[in-house]
Amino acid sequence: MKQIRSRALLGAVVAALAATSLAACGGDEKTPADGDKSGSPAAGDQKVTISVSDYPSTENADARAAFERQAEAFQELYPNITIEPTETAYQADTIQALIAGGTMPTTLLIPFTDIGRMMELDQVADLTDYAANSEALSNLNPSVAKIATDSSGRIRGVPYSAYTMALLYNRSLFTEAGLDPDAPPTTWEEVRAAAKTLTEKTDAQGFELMTMENTGGWMLTNMSYAFGGKPINDEGTESTVNNPGTKAALEFYRAIRWDDNAMGDNFLVNWGDQANDFASGKTAMTVFGADAYNRFITNLGMSKDDYGVAPLPQGTGGLGALGGGGVLVVNPASTPEQIDAAVKWAEFYWLAPYIDQERAVQRAKDDLAAGTPVGAPGLPIVNAAQYEKYLGWIAEYIDVPRENYTLYTSTVETLPIVPEPSVAGQEIYAALDPVVQEVLTNRDADIDKLLADAQVAVQAILDAAQ
Amino acid sequence: MLRPVPPPSVPMPPGGVGPDRRRPGRRRVRSPLAWVRRGGLTTLAFGLPIIVMFAVFSWWPIVRSVAMSVQKTNFIVTEWVGWSNFERVLADPMLGKAVWNTVQFTAWSVVIGFPVPVLVAVVIAELRRARGFASALAYLPVIVPPVVAVLLWRALYDPSPQGALNSVMGWLGIPPAAWLNNADIAIPAIVVEMTWASFGSATIIYLATLMTIRTELYEAAELDGASILGRVWHVTLPQMRGILLIMFLLQILSVFQLFTEPWVMTGGGPANGTLTVMILIYRYAFVAGDYGRATALSLLLAVALGILSAVYLAATRRWSRT
Repeated sequence: MKQIRSRALLGAVVAALAATSLAACGGDEKTPADGDKSGSPAAGDQKVTISVSDYPSTENADARAAFERQAEAFQELYPNITIEPTETAYQADTIQALIAGGTMPTTLLIPFTDIGRMMELDQVADLTDYAANSEALSNLNPSVAKIATDSSGRIRGVPYSAYTMALLYNRSLFTEAGLDPDAPPTTWEEVRAAAKTLTEKTDAQGFELMTMENTGGWMLTNMSYAFGGKPINDEGTESTVNNPGTKAALEFYRAIRWDDNAMGDNFLVNWGDQANDFASGKTAMTVFGADAYNRFITNLGMSKDDYGVAPLPQGTGGLGALGGGGVLVVNPASTPEQIDAAVKWAEFYWLAPYIDQERAVQRAKDDLAAGTPVGAPGLPIVNAAQYEKYLGWIAEYIDVPRENYTLYTSTVETLPIVPEPSVAGQEIYAALDPVVQEVLTNRDADIDKLLADAQVAVQAILDAAQ
Repeated sequence: MLRPVPPPSVPMPPGGVGPDRRRPGRRRVRSPLAWVRRGGLTTLAFGLPIIVMFAVFSWWPIVRSVAMSVQKTNFIVTEWVGWSNFERVLADPMLGKAVWNTVQFTAWSVVIGFPVPVLVAVVIAELRRARGFASALAYLPVIVPPVVAVLLWRALYDPSPQGALNSVMGWLGIPPAAWLNNADIAIPAIVVEMTWASFGSATIIYLATLMTIRTELYEAAELDGASILGRVWHVTLPQMRGILLIMFLLQILSVFQLFTEPWVMTGGGPANGTLTVMILIYRYAFVAGDYGRATALSLLLAVALGILSAVYLAATRRWSRT
């Protein structure tokens, strides 16, 4: 305990030092931090060892070898840094044990959904000072970088992949139902009509949405964005669940479920159920992260010609689509030298392949060898111009029918990304799960009352989080 | 390292009967030296591994969780917050719902789950042949890993008209049910799964008890003209009451701590219809990251169950004497 305290103290000193530098918020991070701290706060050639999470397991020999090659190249570039790969990977219910036991690796990959809570609890290191001079970090898509920036503007992680919610649809089921797979629905009315047709003309159910284990609230938040509402205000102080956008979203749920009868019979659907149902063709349309190509095609065996992605339709006053992805965080108990090395690793391993042609090509080759799709649709983490350049470099390795996603890829820049609630995201989702379930399982559900109750419950969560 | 066992420090005549033989019923005050001389250290050395195991993996976590219930911690920095975790638990509107659901789970498990193993054990005990086979058959579901069993039943309860149970009901002309999607049916439906998964262990325990009942009792009852049901009612059940009372208490204690089945089947839904106290604790800890509140509710649950057990044992003391 004593050691942990003193490390926390050290962390506080580092944070205080860092607080003297710029308060960057996704903008121009190229400004040098402090005059004398060119490069980073840590000395350049001190020996340092960092442990790195998500080392592919031995069953995945190609991916493991590719990882090792990258680590070797990195260590050649920075001879003073030793990379110690570990197979440890993030899991919501073991992460606290990792932290409590002091076994959290120096760098860990976590989903956007959890960075908010870990920032609040101060369980991730402050990288602001170390990131200040990073060229790769300054090229990040600003709206993506914002996800890993805390409420005081401090950088608490390096986003390495990102996606927005999209409408996924099964192209062959569309054809079977007499719909045009190249003209997916673009409004929620068209989604309803298509779902009805699909339900009637195929064996599949037209539409499905996740409802349990917090995914119900997650999805309702996304649907609220699409209909023009947010569950809490941007400061994270006030519950705004009872808003016209969320109400319109729930009215949509009610209509497609009870009026159109196009959502099947099961309304206890978690993330895994949803993935299986869509991959197996049991469900023709769903809302899911647009980056799920690898999951559906490689892991679940869906045909790549069946997989369709369309931008998330927007209702009146729609705000955009909920965005998510992955972010690399650093153990807060790390020494300044370790944090510095961790940021360099994040840059080298995750960001450089988008900026350096040689690395881009090497990564594409490695991915192909490891069976990971190249060129899968998703949200670029670098700016649009850079991403186009990157796609040009890897053009000959792309093994994904990108022509099927032109509508998505051509609008992904224009459809705003709305981040998840900044405070207590998972708790808010848990409070909204029952609302969604009630509307889908009870024909006479009183949407106004449900929203009024949820408004109070979410306010209590926010008050407790202050 | 084997050494000859040292002779007893107090010489005793063969047969162990002598003038200074320990008299029962009288407590002897032993000095630490005498304890050591009597081989206390050896006993301790043998006991040490298990004591250390318990201390590290059982007692220390209990102490830590009691402390954590009055702390706010992120496992890096910890501060003491007094009773506020308990206050927040008691102020949570979900607590009432969770407690009520848990009571309903318990009530259903008493109605559905408690009689089943008793009946099965009595029937198996009456079998003249293949008794071992029948008890193995009854025990079979217990060896299915809990999550697998739960997922199997989740598939059985598929609410679509093509779902397994709904198909069977369709052949009988009964309209399909929503099963887990209907908050009124979900609790008993989950209790049916739990009963299926666990009645085997209770059956084995009851069977063992039934085997110890003296056959003269049945013969006497038969001479008195008791029917089979009469024999079960007047001989079997009274002879089993000690074990029945204990099993009843154990069942209530375990159902009050129900987590896996509703968590995997419904996640506490629909609309919190199967939210249990343990799921609420899980949400506090792993959704909200609020370990203080989670341990506070855990302690409250432990205290409530402790009181319940004490009251139950006191109330049934008279009956449980056999």
